Amino acid sequence: MSPQAECSTPSYNLNCRMQSEAAALERLCQVVRVRGFRISEMSMSSGGEHLDIALTLEGSRPIAMLRAQLEKLHTVEEVLVQPLSSVRSALG
Amino acid sequence: MNGAQHILDAFHRHNIHTVFGYPGGCIMPLYDALVDDVGVEHVLCRHEQACALAADGFARASGDIGVCIATSGPGATNLITGVANAYMDSIPMLVISGQVPSPLIGTDAFQETDILGMTLGIVKHSYLVDDANALPAIMEEAITLAQSSRPGPVWVDIPKNILLADVAAPIATKAETPESNCPDVAEALAMLRSAKRPLLYSGGGVSLAQAEDSFRQFVQATGMPSVVTLKGIGNPGKGNPYNLGMLGMHGSRAANKAVEECDLLFVIGARLDDRATGKLDGFAPNARMIHIDADAAEINKLRPADLALRGDLNQILDAFTKALSSEPLLISDWQKQCKTWHTTGGFQAADNEESLAPISGPAFVRQLSKIAPDNAVIACDVGQHQMWVAQHYEFDHPRHHLTSGGLGTMGFGLPAAIGAQFADRSSTVINVTGDGSFMMNAQELATIRRYNLPLKLIILDNQCLGMVRQQQELFYNNRESHINLDDNPDFVAMARAFDIPALHIERTDQIRRGIEAILAYDGPMLLHVAISREENVWPIVKPGGSNKEMIDETRRTSASTKEQVA
Repeated sequence: MSPQAECSTPSYNLNCRMQSEAAALERLCQVVRVRGFRISEMSMSSGGEHLDIALTLEGSRPIAMLRAQLEKLHTVEEVLVQPLSSVRSALG
Repeated sequence: MNGAQHILDAFHRHNIHTVFGYPGGCIMPLYDALVDDVGVEHVLCRHEQACALAADGFARASGDIGVCIATSGPGATNLITGVANAYMDSIPMLVISGQVPSPLIGTDAFQETDILGMTLGIVKHSYLVDDANALPAIMEEAITLAQSSRPGPVWVDIPKNILLADVAAPIATKAETPESNCPDVAEALAMLRSAKRPLLYSGGGVSLAQAEDSFRQFVQATGMPSVVTLKGIGNPGKGNPYNLGMLGMHGSRAANKAVEECDLLFVIGARLDDRATGKLDGFAPNARMIHIDADAAEINKLRPADLALRGDLNQILDAFTKALSSEPLLISDWQKQCKTWHTTGGFQAADNEESLAPISGPAFVRQLSKIAPDNAVIACDVGQHQMWVAQHYEFDHPRHHLTSGGLGTMGFGLPAAIGAQFADRSSTVINVTGDGSFMMNAQELATIRRYNLPLKLIILDNQCLGMVRQQQELFYNNRESHINLDDNPDFVAMARAFDIPALHIERTDQIRRGIEAILAYDGPMLLHVAISREENVWPIVKPGGSNKEMIDETRRTSASTKEQVA
């Protein structure tokens, strides 16, 4: 990918809370990939019966579409999305 | 009770009395439990793919959940196409697979596959059971989930040791379905009333929600002209004066013209699939859109809706009907225009019974539509015959038309017909197939014979992969590539080898007698219909093209709908 193209691809922070189950993480990542986004950073913490997953994503498709697809997953409890630029400006 | 017995217990609690499966090593404890269970009829198909497709056909025809069972490894992987088919068309399905014993998972054991990982993208949800005591609750959740909201397949992968283990957990209680609130349709109603050219666009979601009656009452209350998707065929019922039929790639000129000219598109239970919309840029360019669906993720997925309602289609449609009953829409000019388009741009085919000419696929389907009983279930395969049925068969109900819409699975029709026949043993079930599709699950002739199902099989045989040949002719400079099937077996002899009687016809004047003969026969029967190799499905839109650019038989060049219909 050229630097120019890289700059123009929107980025997002996505936080997801899921029920803990055998394939939770794979399920989430599969939907992200199929719906047209690339994971550039990822972290996860486990607390009792749920998992908290934080992803940094890049993709040119509407992020609302991904969010709607993730919310359909039976074990997903909550999805929060923020454009990365607004995250950066809030931090700055 | 052991794990296997708990599975059967779940079947009983949910009135599941028919399952389609194939035994093998790791699923044997469940088959052992079936020996003592007279309340569950297990249908032994001859290939696991057919088990899944038969369960799919059972669910489509009945509206109930379909169940398929296979062992681990190849048994489970053979199910995959059928499960993907159900996923794409939102069919409620429970999939049970055996798995190698828990301690052997991850050791590359005999017949071990990571079926959970392989199938993540084709299931509504899935489970790998790792605790026998969790099994009753998982079964309960799986069966409920498969049928709730937007239905879909739910896969439960169960290690052999779990099937054999004593389960201490209590029998699960049936999950309650939450009631939804009555929707507020006021804003949508105002949009509808302000439209001069509203058009109803309905899909498979209507029958998935079992909202056929509500839909028809709504249609009657509005008098709105309508188009249907492949899976929505039958929604408006037979003889609806404002039904323009199927839209899209092989839709009628009238249907695509109405979409082009409407000023409000009222979408119910449809996902704006690319085969229906064509190139999105040119789709319904003058229309605002109201989108009603059970699945929030379908709203705004491909085209932004001006207004969306998400929820139970019955409740939403009933709310509209109630509001419209006192003051109908004033759209008589638009109705008249659509009827004119339907007359000049509806699906056409010659109906010459007396001719000695070779049989035309569309003419055959129109005859079948006239002769078969109104409640006959037609299970299609995929290809030209599928589109001729969609275009020329007049369906009274969407559950009478079984077709692989989303995945386009060749080999769907025969096992789906088997499933439909088990859903109602007394109904007339007809598998209309092509020579390519038929050979993909031809082994299921043995299943028909074993259970003496009175299925009628019709092969429209053009000795090639007709839909591929057609696209090679039109879009690849007629460079035919690997579509020739002129070395097909003798299908009549083949059927007879399975003790299924068969007839061959090849002339137009034999159509009626052929159809009447198989319908009158008390048992399974096959009709082999030789058709021309060169016949195409018309009209057609080039894949990726706009629906305005339809090509028809007389003008094999792009022409705008405006020129043709107006």
